[in-house]
Amino acid sequence: MRIVRRWFGERLPISGRQFRELTNEPVPYHLKRWWFALGGTPAYLFVVQIFTGILLAFYYEASPSTAYQSVEFITNEVSFGWYVRSVHKWAATLMIVAVILHQIRVFFTGAYRRPREINWMIGMCLLICTLLTGFTGYSLVFEQLSFWGATVGANISDTVPLVGGFMKRMMLAGDSYNQATLSRFFVLHAAILPVMITLLVAVHITVIRLQGVTEFRFKDEESGAPKTFNFFPDHLYTELMIGLVLMILLSALATIFPATLGEPANPLQTPDIIKPEWFFYVAFRWLKLFSGTAAVLSMGFIVFVMFAWPFIDGWVRKHTRFQEFSVYVGILAALAIIVMTVWEAVARH
Amino acid sequence: MADEEKRGSGTEGEGSDRRDFLKNASRAAMTAGLVGGYGGFVLVAGRYLYPASSGVAMWQFVAEVAGIEVGEAIRYRGPSGETINITRRSREGNADDFIALSSTCPHLGCQVRWEAQNNRFFCPCHNGVFDPSGKATAGPPGEAGQSLGRYELKVENGLLMIAVPPPQFSAADESGIIEDEDCISGPGHDPCLGGRPRGTDRNRNA
Repeated sequence: MRIVRRWFGERLPISGRQFRELTNEPVPYHLKRWWFALGGTPAYLFVVQIFTGILLAFYYEASPSTAYQSVEFITNEVSFGWYVRSVHKWAATLMIVAVILHQIRVFFTGAYRRPREINWMIGMCLLICTLLTGFTGYSLVFEQLSFWGATVGANISDTVPLVGGFMKRMMLAGDSYNQATLSRFFVLHAAILPVMITLLVAVHITVIRLQGVTEFRFKDEESGAPKTFNFFPDHLYTELMIGLVLMILLSALATIFPATLGEPANPLQTPDIIKPEWFFYVAFRWLKLFSGTAAVLSMGFIVFVMFAWPFIDGWVRKHTRFQEFSVYVGILAALAIIVMTVWEAVARH
Repeated sequence: MADEEKRGSGTEGEGSDRRDFLKNASRAAMTAGLVGGYGGFVLVAGRYLYPASSGVAMWQFVAEVAGIEVGEAIRYRGPSGETINITRRSREGNADDFIALSSTCPHLGCQVRWEAQNNRFFCPCHNGVFDPSGKATAGPPGEAGQSLGRYELKVENGLLMIAVPPPQFSAADESGIIEDEDCISGPGHDPCLGGRPRGTDRNRNA
């Protein structure tokens, strides 16, 4: 045993003590509260997505003539295919929910403020990549709604001034949805976006480690409560417990509400009622309220404001007396998003 | 001695200038090589991914003019997958009898449908409305002044021809008149909204 240890020690010169030092960063005590552990949840769900996504890719065929049939085959013929597909679908839904909740938590606790502005912007990139992965993934099913959702999505990019036409043609591989479009969505969904998310998460976590987690104190805390606790094993156990709960939740959702399959895509007929996935309801309603370019430019402006929010908030706090400015803006934005999402969900057109 | 020192330092100065020059030149060459090499690769990759342009429109046969009644509409699929509503409006026997409108909504690319009861084309995606001549009258296309695209038509030896983009890699099947639909969407015909055209069920019952 000693010989084996020495052999590995010579080739991998990391001692157990060094490894513990590397991973065992003291974690601020407020992370005992579960809503502060929401950042780890999308990361865990992302791993689930990679695993189930690889399984689905064994049978999926990214071509308009076979895509729908391959999804049907996975759902109805392959052993546990329905389960793998349903877990993939529900993990995507929960991942988007967790990313949004994590962002809301960071926003309302002001954890994006100096010196964490760059990490907020990396988080915004992660949010956009997550939404794009959801969009491209849904289009792969090639059912009526997903086909028309993808068509509308690609045409939205066309309304962007100057570069819109280029973006649309790059996305669709032509002027309209064609044989080559689906494989582009597949490459984006299964290769480019996951790699980007992995790299961004690595940078996100590295910056957190470099800057340390923001520390909070709560009124109900005992005065003698310790400032920190150990990452290993305390926080790791918390994350493992969250992982276990998520796996149970995913299995339950996949079993009770399995992923369904609508009518196959028909490029000649748009369905009477067309809706995107729920996380795009806001954008879809916005597009109905304003005409093409105005809607896209205003959406782009809102995304820009979200990116630059740490600097806008910093300027307002420095030059005005509205110290709680961000809280009111956050409440208003959340209400607007909820209202437009519900409006789109209940409206026929 | 002093002269030697002067000479020595002068040689050293020249040597250092030369070294600096060579250092800067090699840095510039290295940078140019990297930018040229990898930049060229990025350009090639970009060109590889960017689809070729659709090219000049070509004339395609649609139907015999005598086979289309006044008020009748046919739905035609072009070689690159676009769907077109062609309606006959008069009996002159030339191309002005017909109007060929794209059935793709100019707002965000959904398929419009003909609503006979409202005498309009309607886009279900964002509530776009167009009159029978394809002019946008309401919804986002109306606000932005985006009417339905029109295709050029001509009549040659009694045959109706249409100018359409050349074939692309289409998601739909082959080009031609769409006949496998339950109903035809276009002015002069029963709406597609209810599924089958009027009379079908009655015939079936009989």
